[in-house]
Amino acid sequence: EERKRTEEKEKEEEEREMACMHDHSCEDHDCSSDWSLYKHIDLSKVSALNEAVPGSAKSVFKAWENRLNSSEGQLVSNEGDPELIVFIPFTSDVKIKGISIVGGADGTSPSKMRAFINRDGIDFSDAQSMQPVQEWDLVENLQGVLEYQTRYSRFQGVGNLTLHFPENFGGDTTQIHYIGLKGEATQLKRDAVANIVYELMPNPSDHK
Amino acid sequence: MVLEGFDFTDFLFDLIYQATMICIDNSEWMRNGDYSPNRFQAQADAVNLICGAKTQSNPENTVGVLTMAGKGVRVLVTPTSDLGKILACMHGLEIGGEMNLAAGIQVAQLALKHRQNKKQQQRIIVFGGGPVKYDKKVLEMIGRKLKKNNVALDVVDFGEEEDAKSEKLEALVAAVNSNDSSHIVHVPPGSNALSDVLISTPIFTGDGEGGSGFAAAAAAAAAGGVSGFDFGVDPNLDPELALALRVSMEEERARQEAAAKKAAEDASKGGEQSTSQDATMTENVAVAPSDTENKANDLMDDENALLQQALAMSMDDPATTAATRDTDMSEAAANDQDLALALQLSVQDSAKDQSSQTDMSNLLADQSFVSSILASLPGVDPNDPSVKDLLASMQSQSEVSLFLLHPEQKNNEDKAPNEDK
Repeated sequence: EERKRTEEKEKEEEEREMACMHDHSCEDHDCSSDWSLYKHIDLSKVSALNEAVPGSAKSVFKAWENRLNSSEGQLVSNEGDPELIVFIPFTSDVKIKGISIVGGADGTSPSKMRAFINRDGIDFSDAQSMQPVQEWDLVENLQGVLEYQTRYSRFQGVGNLTLHFPENFGGDTTQIHYIGLKGEATQLKRDAVANIVYELMPNPSDHK
Repeated sequence: MVLEGFDFTDFLFDLIYQATMICIDNSEWMRNGDYSPNRFQAQADAVNLICGAKTQSNPENTVGVLTMAGKGVRVLVTPTSDLGKILACMHGLEIGGEMNLAAGIQVAQLALKHRQNKKQQQRIIVFGGGPVKYDKKVLEMIGRKLKKNNVALDVVDFGEEEDAKSEKLEALVAAVNSNDSSHIVHVPPGSNALSDVLISTPIFTGDGEGGSGFAAAAAAAAAGGVSGFDFGVDPNLDPELALALRVSMEEERARQEAAAKKAAEDASKGGEQSTSQDATMTENVAVAPSDTENKANDLMDDENALLQQALAMSMDDPATTAATRDTDMSEAAANDQDLALALQLSVQDSAKDQSSQTDMSNLLADQSFVSSILASLPGVDPNDPSVKDLLASMQSQSEVSLFLLHPEQKNNEDKAPNEDK
């Protein structure tokens, strides 16, 4: 029994290293402004794999104060399959300091998270075989006060982020209500020009 | 060729790029002729049409093809936007074996996964002609895996109609379907071409996005000669032309039957008939669009054969006057400008055709026969340059002297030219 208790304690300590408990009132610092990277997400290009409702992935990116508010929907995986992949492109390169996940109740919260950066089109077979930039063991975090820190040096020039949630806490599906990203946005843009118009002859009216 | 009344602004270019893999069934079951001409050819036409439609509707769309039967699943071409490459690989496909639906879909999924542009939506189109040996559970599992990886699936259920086949395929599509992106179409055997049936289905019209784009692209592709319609012309786009072509085709068919009939009999009037067509043709300056010319070229071979028969007949009884033996043909010439022009073209060309010259040179060796033919023609003026050209070209194939018209014949030929050029 003692061994079990020490194991639990070790696990807690580990988590504390990775997580940061917001056991203070938010008047000291503005949590809302910390978790503001969602403003730099290119929402139209956010996509997810294995979501039950196509397009529902966009609803999990919102302001920190709305993290428990699921009125606009949530990300739910398909019945009987808890895996989820969320692809998050940004409008400019960002540096990510921390990630916060609010899951669902009754074992529907994800239990593991694996992150990949700057990779397009990762699907489940890729995600399972590739080595992630970083992975975390998650705990059930229904209040959204847990933050998972990143190895900051690896998350410096992030043009897009892919999060893979392979397992949950035993539920039939996986539910995610909120994904919060903490960090800084730079003004740089990593990708090449996205929309190119090919002209045979220049037309001044097109360039106004 | 300008498609009249076709508004190109109707094209809605998909802003969503698609990468599509088409799974073709080349199993033994495709030899059956319950779809015309046979199942495999009907399938190939449909595939060509789909490829054309997809690549036309958006230049960034890519299409790939694989076969599911034969010695095993084989990828013929990976997703590419080069329509020529896709159509080329459809040639020389061999029929054999049994289709392996599960393996086909899995290989298609793999091919799509390695597409060059990851932004493209993934879609698989399966032509399921032979029987399906996998059971429903396996297919549903495959469907769920496709859905999980966001791959859409369209199934064309044709060919063999087994008890559970439709049910299995429906279950497969239901498992994949998310938000109406996947479809299944059942095509029973019949006189309608497989491709015609498919054009009106969501497989062509898309998921409602850019729907008219695909349909319009398909119509354009078909009208451009990918053989969706009888005469290469969409009846919807140009009904008068389509009607004219159809009428002339039927007249031509009737004429050929009549000519064949005459060949069996011992008559001479055939030769006059065909050359009387020439005469009326010179009068009828038909401003035929290029399609008619293409059709005329196709008719040329028939014309050569007819002309040969006609001249053979004329050899037997050259002196008799031209009684219109074949009412069909004269009616055809009188009524149908397109046919007239077609025949004129073909006669002019056939006059130069070497293969028909061997018989003709023998027949024309006797110039009296030629002149007598011309003598009995109503309204043919031997001084007519076109007639002279005709003779001149024939002349090049045999001895020159034999074709000079005898002066005494000119009186007979000098009928009132009631036809102008």
